[in-house]
Amino acid sequence: MSELPPTTSVKRWLVTTNHKDIGILYTITALFFLLFGGVLALLIRVQLWDPMNQILSGLAYNEAVTAHGLIMVFWFLSPFAFGFANYFVPLQIGADDLAFPRLNALSYWMYLFSGVLLSISFFQGGTLSAGWTIYAPLNIPAYTPSIGSTGAILALAMFTIGVTASSVNFLVSIHHSRAEGMGIMDMPMFTWTILATVWMMLFAFAALLAAGLILASDRVLGSVYFSATEGGSLLWGHLFWFFGHPEVYIVFFPALGAMLELFQTFSGRRLVGRKWVIIAICLVSVQSFLVWMHHMFLTTINLEIKTLMMATTIGISLPFDLIVFSLIYTLIKGRIQFTTPFLFAFGALLLFILGGITGVFLGAIVLDYEFRGTYWVVAHFHYVMFGGATALIGAAYYWFPKITGKMYDELLGKIHFVLFFIGFNAVYFSMFLGWETPRRVFEYNPELQIYHQFGTIGAFVLGFSFFIMFYNFAKSYVSGEPAGDNPWDYSRTAEWAISSPPPLQNWPNRPSYASGKLEFVKDYVPDRGPAVKTDANGNGATDGGDTHSEHIKEYPYWDKHPSHASIWPLTLSFAVGVLFLGLTGFRDNVVFEVGESLASTSVTISNPVYPILIVVGLVGLVWTGVKWSLEDFYAPPTEFAERWPFEGVEKVKLGMWFFIASDVIVFGAFLSAAIFVRYNAGWMTWEPLAEPLPGLINTFVLLTSSFTVILALVAARRKSRQGLLASLGATIVLGFTFLGIKLWEWNKEIFERGVTISANAHGDPIQASIYYVTTGLHGIHVVIGLVIAIFLFVRAYQGHYLEDERPIEYFGLYWHFVDIVWVFIFPLFYLF
Amino acid sequence: MIDPIILQQGSDWRAQAEVFDEIFFVFLALGTLVGTIVVAYTLWNVFKYRDDGSEPKEDFDAPIVGELPTGQGGPKAKKLFLSFGLSAIVVISLVVYAYGLLLYVEEGPDTSDAGNIEITVEGYQFGWEYIYPNGYSTRGEMIVPADQRIDLNVTSRDVWHNFGSSELRIKSDAIPGEYSSTWFSVSSEDVEAQGGEATYRVECFELCGAGHSAMTGQITVLPQDEWEEWYAGTQGENTSSVDSAGAGNASSVDNAVIRGAPA
Ligand code: HEM
Ligand SMILES: [Cu+2]
Ligand SMILES: [Cu+2]
Repeated sequence: MSELPPTTSVKRWLVTTNHKDIGILYTITALFFLLFGGVLALLIRVQLWDPMNQILSGLAYNEAVTAHGLIMVFWFLSPFAFGFANYFVPLQIGADDLAFPRLNALSYWMYLFSGVLLSISFFQGGTLSAGWTIYAPLNIPAYTPSIGSTGAILALAMFTIGVTASSVNFLVSIHHSRAEGMGIMDMPMFTWTILATVWMMLFAFAALLAAGLILASDRVLGSVYFSATEGGSLLWGHLFWFFGHPEVYIVFFPALGAMLELFQTFSGRRLVGRKWVIIAICLVSVQSFLVWMHHMFLTTINLEIKTLMMATTIGISLPFDLIVFSLIYTLIKGRIQFTTPFLFAFGALLLFILGGITGVFLGAIVLDYEFRGTYWVVAHFHYVMFGGATALIGAAYYWFPKITGKMYDELLGKIHFVLFFIGFNAVYFSMFLGWETPRRVFEYNPELQIYHQFGTIGAFVLGFSFFIMFYNFAKSYVSGEPAGDNPWDYSRTAEWAISSPPPLQNWPNRPSYASGKLEFVKDYVPDRGPAVKTDANGNGATDGGDTHSEHIKEYPYWDKHPSHASIWPLTLSFAVGVLFLGLTGFRDNVVFEVGESLASTSVTISNPVYPILIVVGLVGLVWTGVKWSLEDFYAPPTEFAERWPFEGVEKVKLGMWFFIASDVIVFGAFLSAAIFVRYNAGWMTWEPLAEPLPGLINTFVLLTSSFTVILALVAARRKSRQGLLASLGATIVLGFTFLGIKLWEWNKEIFERGVTISANAHGDPIQASIYYVTTGLHGIHVVIGLVIAIFLFVRAYQGHYLEDERPIEYFGLYWHFVDIVWVFIFPLFYLF
Repeated sequence: MIDPIILQQGSDWRAQAEVFDEIFFVFLALGTLVGTIVVAYTLWNVFKYRDDGSEPKEDFDAPIVGELPTGQGGPKAKKLFLSFGLSAIVVISLVVYAYGLLLYVEEGPDTSDAGNIEITVEGYQFGWEYIYPNGYSTRGEMIVPADQRIDLNVTSRDVWHNFGSSELRIKSDAIPGEYSSTWFSVSSEDVEAQGGEATYRVECFELCGAGHSAMTGQITVLPQDEWEEWYAGTQGENTSSVDSAGAGNASSVDNAVIRGAPA
């Protein structure tokens, strides 16, 4: 554990794990990507000025459109929102930090380096040009051959990993660290929307990760999923939109949260029908996973499914109705102050209303048949997504005084709003008028030119307005008026109860809502021992064993100071970035010539840079991973917290469960892909490729290893070092046995039967791809499990885990999960 | 905008364009109405309840920092549900109404005579090939008769495209390995109105590569007899004259065809 340097030092920003610092990093990085995406947008608009004259080639235009979409949706919108979420969710719930500060830093650095990868991809023969929806089979190397295309996809995969880590972190934090007395229904609305967002993220991004991994496998390893005519294109459609529809709410919800906060603060009213708004938010989160095929109405899905999707689509618009009306009624009888933040939030509502109404048009299938693939869709989703983001700009003004301690310039803020609002509607409303233009086309029908020219002018106004904001923030940061702790008349949430900017530890004393409002309680902290809650009379309260004895056992480091600095999140992400960069050029530079046997297989390496990067990245990954695990980093648990519905689950365990839940979706997507393709190919036309017997043996091996992991836990509980080592050792041996049999099987398939990842002497090549990729994904899980097991074994040998056996237990959860997945894989690939 | 056309054959055929225009009109009218009411109401209230610096009313209960949220019910909540219910009724009835017409569009008009023409449309980078029932095929330009139902089976040879004509309001995904379908028909009045030969612009509505923008084509509708004459002349031939330039520069050929034609 290292000390946290002061904010003026660059080193501070490299090692910090404090949620407020990371929030700032997110916000600034996201604004950079806003500029990046914005420049691309202006390029697009310039190209659209004239339907005949072009400044960009067709390919360059497609790259601009693709990168613009990817950057705005992934690298700007969500990270911008999560900058605020990082900063303010812990404050709003009365926590000291997020549950896993290092993991939080890791998420940020993954985000940053994935953005770097994306930027590099422009110089690797051109970035991806298949649109942000990356439809198949345009997304495979046959049609988008540049290394940069692979780079963009791997960047997205890396981003997704960061998002998953972040979702787990926020889920555990919000469910586990709410101050005493703050029930889940009492959370501020911004926190509520973030909670709903991360729940959706956990599952939606897992689907995207699966899609991205399959695509990466097609591009890097040579599998043939998306070129398969047995439903390959549709497979991408389903995977992408299963993620894609929830994604639109994922980007919208934080903005909605900002709207809900700002409407209350600047009208002095409390939210109308608060409970119902929360219910609506939860409903939408669940429903968002049930509408994805409304993006595929024109594919070959049948009428029954279309009808169902139409119904669910309309169903999901209804909770939004309620939310919109609640926002409007909240203002009534208020004392509305037209500050810049309110103007933006209010503008966002107006834009969202228009976006929502035009969405209902799209939900009516007959209209969608015509709107699909046109600027109507483009206009619709800019009104809802960017319209939503408008509220986040309001949030930036709203929280600027808290973060910097300085007040922004109100006049400049208002000018920004006016230009923004005019520019916005000029760009996007003109798209409704010229809606017959196909998307991503620049040689459009000349009759529509007037709308596009209007839009281009609007785009420049819109772009310019942001420079006013940047100037305003920069100037105010340097020489603004001191803002005071609470510059707003009617704020309610806890971040306004502390100084601006808040101190590192957030709170003067432990925040508590036990009395019905926020109070800072002075806990009596004995010299050595956990905090003891004192009641009004100063007596130590005994509310169940939970607080005392349990905590001493659970948290053996209770007397330590919380840590705020670690370099390993940065280095680990960097290693992953290097690894992924190496992978981008793998296929172009490393060629395998499959011979008679493994020995006669030749490898030709044309450019050693890429393979070297892979090796360096891998080594770095393992090394930093070990360093990370050995680091003495202490993130104190929240001692008195509201935890419904996860009382009694320790935080790391809870995190593990969330992670496994998302991994279930990843595997679910891989298995669904296998089933979907096989169904399209004709189920009975495929015979299992591999022989059942080795598979059966492997099933027994894995199940036995699940058993030995349980034995390891029992041994650790009994404080038997011998037993622990023996059973862990047995687990490792069984794991290697499994891998050995697996490799033997693959070896046989490849060299005796001529079945490789892209060719199949006995049938469909796609069948071979699915077999290798699915069992390979499982194999990678086994390898990761073995790495952890070996680490645990070494530590156990050194005498650890007898006092605190939780690492063994959590490893066990993971290992059981991997085994259960095999139970699903086995019949699908070996029996039927 | 709504004038249900009755096609020549005397049945109550309605082109997809007609159906679309009707629904679009209804949605636009109601959408504008609802949108205007909601926005106007909101703007009015925001203006009315602005903080003008006067003393707060008695019933104004300012929130304080650190309070736990309260006050979920009250008269406003009733109003909330009333407006919610109303809007839900509007939305649901709109969609139910549109669904009825969807069923029509899906089925297509009922044609007892066997005169339907089925054409396979195959997208490729970057153009369209049309394969007629007799095996003859053209690129860039699809030539069909008036007053007849044309059924399209749309697929792709390489990547995902989307075949569509904004003027005819038809659209269908062209996906490798899949066949999706749509239909259209143009009345002979429309053909006459365009001077004996109606042409409609075809565009690609799904990003498909560097030439996506230029992936246009054309549907030409001829009067029945003229078409039959043309079609008879194609018997036995396998490729169109347009195609003779070869597949390699097919897209430039297509463009030449289109550029010359009024859209
Ligand atoms: C009021 C409820 C809404 C309805 C009924 C609705 C309906 C639809 C439908 C049917 C489509 C598919 C259009 C097509 O591709 O043919 C669509 C596209 C889209 N919607 Fe919505 N939507 C609603 C709200 C939202 C919200 C709140 C967001 C985001 C904040 C959003 C973002 C998008 C995006 C990004 C796309 C297009 C994605 C793409 O093709 O690139 N929508 N919407
Ligand atoms: Cu959607
Ligand atoms: Cu295209």
